[in-house]
Amino acid sequence: MKNGPLFFLGLFASLTLSFAGVVLLANHQLGGLTPYFDDGEGKSFPDRTPGIAARGQLVYRDLGCIACHTQQVRRPGFGADQAQGWGERQSVARDYIFQAYPQVGWSRIGPDLTNLAGRKPSALDAEDLMKLLYFGQGSMPAYSFLFQNVKVAGQTPKSALKLTGRSAPAPGHAIVPTERAQALVAYLLSLNTAYDYPESRPVVKTAAKAEAAHK
Amino acid sequence: MSTDSNDSSAIDTQARGPLLLLLGAGLLWLVMSGVLALVASIQLHTPSFLADCAWFTYGRAQALRETAFVYGWLANAGLALGLWILARLGGEMMRAGNWVAVGGIFWNLGVALSLIGIAAGDASGHTLFQVPAYTQPLLLVAYGAMAVAGILAWSGRRQEAAFASQWYVFAALFLFPWLFSVAQVTLVWFPVRGVLQSIVAGWFAQGLYSLWLAPLALACAYYLLPKVTGRVLPAYPFAKVGFWTLAVVGSWTGGRHLIGGPFPAWVASLSIAACSLLLFHYLVVFLNLRNVIGSKGTAMYFTSFGLLAYVLGGVADAVVSLRGVAVQTQFTFVDQAMQQLALYGAISMMFFAGLYFVVPRLVGKTWASAALVAGHTTLASFGVALLVVALAVAGVIQGHALLGDAAKFANIAAATRPWMLAATAAQTVLLLANLMLLVNFVQTVAALASSRIGSTPVSTPALKAVLS
Repeated sequence: MKNGPLFFLGLFASLTLSFAGVVLLANHQLGGLTPYFDDGEGKSFPDRTPGIAARGQLVYRDLGCIACHTQQVRRPGFGADQAQGWGERQSVARDYIFQAYPQVGWSRIGPDLTNLAGRKPSALDAEDLMKLLYFGQGSMPAYSFLFQNVKVAGQTPKSALKLTGRSAPAPGHAIVPTERAQALVAYLLSLNTAYDYPESRPVVKTAAKAEAAHK
Repeated sequence: MSTDSNDSSAIDTQARGPLLLLLGAGLLWLVMSGVLALVASIQLHTPSFLADCAWFTYGRAQALRETAFVYGWLANAGLALGLWILARLGGEMMRAGNWVAVGGIFWNLGVALSLIGIAAGDASGHTLFQVPAYTQPLLLVAYGAMAVAGILAWSGRRQEAAFASQWYVFAALFLFPWLFSVAQVTLVWFPVRGVLQSIVAGWFAQGLYSLWLAPLALACAYYLLPKVTGRVLPAYPFAKVGFWTLAVVGSWTGGRHLIGGPFPAWVASLSIAACSLLLFHYLVVFLNLRNVIGSKGTAMYFTSFGLLAYVLGGVADAVVSLRGVAVQTQFTFVDQAMQQLALYGAISMMFFAGLYFVVPRLVGKTWASAALVAGHTTLASFGVALLVVALAVAGVIQGHALLGDAAKFANIAAATRPWMLAATAAQTVLLLANLMLLVNFVQTVAALASSRIGSTPVSTPALKAVLS
């Protein structure tokens, strides 16, 4: 490698090639994804995230929830995401097109949250989620810094956690979620991938069929 | 000061200031990342630990640990060692040393600001790219300033034919800003849409390892082995092929984590193929450097540890990328185990080797305490091995449970708890080891300062006597 400029060019070209091959090609395929308009329902999917939920995604991101939770349901036949009840269909790229910071994730120390609000038979509601955040559960820490212990004179605020027994606050006090907690919960409640896109369907069926034939 | 190129110690004394600055800063970050790693590790088995403190909630502690380790320790140490190698092999005094010092100061300022930013919740949220948006330009400019010295040393080299270590350092110097600036543009300033962000982040993270950290570490190994043993590297003509395999194929392997998810299937398939192709690079590196195993001396010990970890990591990457295996290991602690094997077991260990070789030459004195060297060597090897094994076993248990029906995460946490405790023990051992290294480094450099006060500058013959 006596020829310095040639060496430099070679290095430049090799990284450019991989950038083109991985990033640009993927961008070519997915960058132009549009919402899918369903004639039957008369509206398009995915839904845009409501403002408070979009702010909640920022809270989710800045607390690093992604270190333990994924938001991607893998295809049937690869892993057991359906058996875990995390979602009936696989996640597709179109699910994420309106998200400013998709939290796809890489680690499952806790459950997947793709379809948290669409869980069957019953999903957690706002109150459950608030309590989960306040108390923690198992290996999930309590995020008590998302709550305030406030003094109340007169009526207890509507948003106050309904706590009884030992965890109840002192008389005249209430545990109130901060705005960040409310945004986060609104975001978690917006996580729902009930709508079935054409591209999320065929693989599901053939895989299920193959499985049935296998049995 | 003599300009005779045979008088290599003059190159060292002249480059002493800026390089010791980088190495010292790197060691401080190493210890700090050890503390943060300990916090994150404890939280995995005792979630209530520091739970009330938003700054150290697990997600942030994890990002902090990683950033302090990669942008703090590995970057500083890698650059210092890389610049030193370029100057030494170029056979000329290091030029633009002031640029290195100023760039180094701003780089470390940038790292400090990044850590504060991440703790406050401004992490960008991608693996190995957690640096907040507002410190990224600073880091890029500071890096550029430091790289000036490397470019000058490369272009001013005495011999036109460069050695393997020079290719690797030069490639690393140039490819990092390429990767880092592209990642900034596509993830921060003009973010690509949806899941493309994960694809770019995966490409960047892999590039950071394969095209920046690994080349810097390999440069140390390729430099040290012939230097210390005085023997020609076997199969050296192949080194060039090994180098280009890494340069061309290395950054294609990032998509292996994107299996089964909402990504085009070809992204994963390509990277699986690339992982297998890259085995050729690992084979060449192993053939070139195999004589290091069993060679005597601290530097050789760390190089051989690093070499084995590097090759093992490459083989493990190829195996784990296969779909049948990935389905078991994806999203588990196995990923963390492999990251630690690569970043700690391979890269860090080779940097330790370089550090043990270079510091005495920069300072003109041997290490202050042989006991601390021995202590660091033993504890670091034990700590890394324990950490990787503990995380890997925990990951296998976790992966098995995740494949069952309706996994109870409380049960998984209970089943992996002993291994998480072992990982915490390993982090404690590593922290202790790195503290020893830091203390030893400080003592060694302090000896230099006190000898200076005695106003007898280290004479060249005395230096040679010390180093021979």
